Amino acid sequence: PLQVLQPKTVPKRLGPSQRKPREPQVPMSLIKEIFRHFVKMPVTRDAFKIVEKCSERYFKQLSNDLEAYSHHAGRKTVEVADLEVLMRRQGLVTDKMPLNVLIERYLPLEYRKLLIPIAVGGNKVIPYK
Amino acid sequence: EAGAHCLPLPRFLQRLQAAVHYTVGCLCQEVEEDKDVRFSKQSVAAISEITFRQCEIFAKDLEMFARHAKRTTVNTEDVKLLARRSNSLLKYITQKSEELASSNMEQKEKKKKKSSAAKGERTPGEQEAAVTENEDSNMA
Repeated sequence: PLQVLQPKTVPKRLGPSQRKPREPQVPMSLIKEIFRHFVKMPVTRDAFKIVEKCSERYFKQLSNDLEAYSHHAGRKTVEVADLEVLMRRQGLVTDKMPLNVLIERYLPLEYRKLLIPIAVGGNKVIPYK
Repeated sequence: EAGAHCLPLPRFLQRLQAAVHYTVGCLCQEVEEDKDVRFSKQSVAAISEITFRQCEIFAKDLEMFARHAKRTTVNTEDVKLLARRSNSLLKYITQKSEELASSNMEQKEKKKKKSSAAKGERTPGEQEAAVTENEDSNMA
């Protein structure tokens, strides 16, 4: 516990010319927030570091898989169908748990609206297909 | 899933399971001789049960992959996709599929030659000639 009280050493700022172009990644704060929401238990800083690394790897694997699946279907564009196949492979989407239910359960309303067609007045369905 | 243990399987599934069990037994025996270890009967039975269940997962995934590519027939590409999770397995399967493809090509070429020869015999103009040829070969 004493070590925590010691002043942190601030890493020296590198000049803009020296700074390497970093790989795009999901912000650590967002990952932390999501993880904390689900674990409901205190998590150490080191554990969060590992979670960050894992999520980085997860996205790498994800993009590889999606590439393979869209290529498999003879496309060059990743579509919803590819993602659904992936999530089925991951065991997230099953016969008992359709993708739409997962979307409803885990995505906020704005995103849900974009993904699940909703019938509105005037005999319209949003979004149009 | 939990109830599956209590209920007896339908007859055709029992026969499938028995076939899997037999083959697993043979493979285990090979490993026993190779690695100088022994498999208990229970472990062989467990492996066969696992294999049986894994087939269910494989079948579903293959079906999904084929449908994803708008096909109704499962082909080697789907199988390769199935093996993507493990690099070494993917390597092995790709190698095997290449071997199969090359041997298939050879067989097809042979068949083509045979079928073209057969077709040649059936053309009306050459039919008589073919018959005489056959007779010749019979004579010789």
